[in-house]
Amino acid sequence: MNKPVLDIRDLSVSYNTPRGPLRALRNVSMKIPDKKIVGIVGESGCGKSTLISAIIRLMAPNATVGTGEILFKDKNLLDRTTTEMRNLLGVDISMVFQDPMQTHNPVLTVGKQMVDIQYRDSLPKADKRKRAAEMLSKVGIPDADARLNQYPFEFSGGMRQRIAIAMALMAKPSLLIADEPTTALDATLEVQVIKRLRELQEEVGCAILFISHHLGVIAELCDEVVVMYAGEVIEQGSVRDVFHDPAHPYTRALLDCDPGHIKEKTRNLPTIPGEIPDLVDVADGCIFQARCTHVHGACANRPNLQPVNVAHNVACHLNQTEGAV
Amino acid sequence: MSTDIKTRSEIGEILYHLTRDRLGLAGLIIVSLIVFSAILAPWIVPYDPIAMNIPDRLQGPSLSHLLGTDQLGRDTFSRVIMGGRVALQVAIPTIAGAISIGLFLGMIAGYGPKWLDTLIVLLFDTLRSFPTVMFALAVVALVGPSLNTVILVIMITSIPTYGRVVRTLTQSLRSSEFITAEKSLGASTTRILGVHILPNVLGPLAVLAAMDIPTVVGLEAGLSFLGMGVKPPTPSWGSLLNDGYSLIRNTPWLIISGGIPLILTTLGFTFLGEALRDVVDPKLRGRGGVK
Repeated sequence: MNKPVLDIRDLSVSYNTPRGPLRALRNVSMKIPDKKIVGIVGESGCGKSTLISAIIRLMAPNATVGTGEILFKDKNLLDRTTTEMRNLLGVDISMVFQDPMQTHNPVLTVGKQMVDIQYRDSLPKADKRKRAAEMLSKVGIPDADARLNQYPFEFSGGMRQRIAIAMALMAKPSLLIADEPTTALDATLEVQVIKRLRELQEEVGCAILFISHHLGVIAELCDEVVVMYAGEVIEQGSVRDVFHDPAHPYTRALLDCDPGHIKEKTRNLPTIPGEIPDLVDVADGCIFQARCTHVHGACANRPNLQPVNVAHNVACHLNQTEGAV
Repeated sequence: MSTDIKTRSEIGEILYHLTRDRLGLAGLIIVSLIVFSAILAPWIVPYDPIAMNIPDRLQGPSLSHLLGTDQLGRDTFSRVIMGGRVALQVAIPTIAGAISIGLFLGMIAGYGPKWLDTLIVLLFDTLRSFPTVMFALAVVALVGPSLNTVILVIMITSIPTYGRVVRTLTQSLRSSEFITAEKSLGASTTRILGVHILPNVLGPLAVLAAMDIPTVVGLEAGLSFLGMGVKPPTPSWGSLLNDGYSLIRNTPWLIISGGIPLILTTLGFTFLGEALRDVVDPKLRGRGGVK
């Protein structure tokens, strides 16, 4: 296996709330191998966004990192000063956001923004502009040179997201974090963006941490997948292993809910009954036990991530006591 | 691909759309008339605006005195034109100063820590709580009337107008996603403020400034009318009104020629401001306002 570009070890983050600390991430560990695409899935509130904000240090003011380290190229990001962090962001770590309609400055032309983003390079402006145009055509925007003079609102949503990707990859980072970059797009555009992302990833040679609700997109794009639930990693492995042979009841339930997987005609889409546990007052034991259909005695103890297969880990007692169900 | 991708500059774009709006065009014409006559005043005026000519006092309009003369025989037309120069001499530095300080304080308040915000807002509220005219009268009573006093007083009391708008805009922008996106790409605070927030704030500020010029001109006229502004014999629309006010039974010309430029200024700048509002936002450009 490749050496990980990002290695998160035992990371815990909590938010201070009037009711006490909300433990949004609890002992999360994951590795992102160099030049690979890792997807994170999980429902809203499972800590995906908290994880990202901890990596790029854009946490809410009431968030505190408890334990753990985030090793980026063997150096702990949490030890870096704000300035060091700033010099890393946009250069070696870049980010693409969810809503393409909001990620650009509305009053500056796309060209101006793409030239501005290269402020760290001491190139003449004409060269920066040329590079911006090159990036634009790379993400598949025709007539790039002329379109640099247009404002963000003159582009469609899919185009804007591709522009955002172009801007994020401008400095050829080693890690691109994509926070649900296709959620705000319709299905056709989603495919377009995914395709471009894949092509560019190969060209730039970066690793991507890709966050999505959309299981189909993850299956399409990613090499590995991490399933998160209520602030914990409950299953991780290659896309093939996790999607074809899910070991955790939550992953299975999640896959069953994917409309793309449902073969028969149905009036009601399946859901997972119950709610996400309250993270201010986390109960002992397995985090999923309240909603799990296979709950049994062992679930009172918190399961650790254990291998079920080569590079396929799951945090569930079912796999440790009696193998697969 | 559409072929009409524009190549005009930002300013050219704004001017183009401004002239296509009827009200904007009217505003632009009136404003340029006022501005050019103010700049070219020394070459336009037929008489020395402060030269007295007692034998010709209180004349009605004639070919030699287009707007007649006042009680000291000074040519009213010359005084109106020169008065415009004075009005802009007050308005432009006042607004420029108020915008710069307001922009600076407003961005700090909107982006900085909470305690600084509270402090600056307190300052703004304190300044705003002074009625401008009362404040001006008090200051003038202390240091004596002069052009600079008027500029300073109006500037100080106008700072909160701009500062508060900038603060609110900055506050709403700081949490917007594109700022987060910039931060995630490593932009420093100065970059975020200078490159990203500033251009977003400038548009609304330009509109506000255009609308505020008549207020400032009016204030200057008001103070001069009260004898607290520009010192005689320097011509000012306000002192013209004052002269005309006491002589309204003898000759209405003075008050008319002092009043019309004030009305024109207000109309011109307001039209311009209204039209600017539709034009400075690139998104609203060319969609035509509600006219």
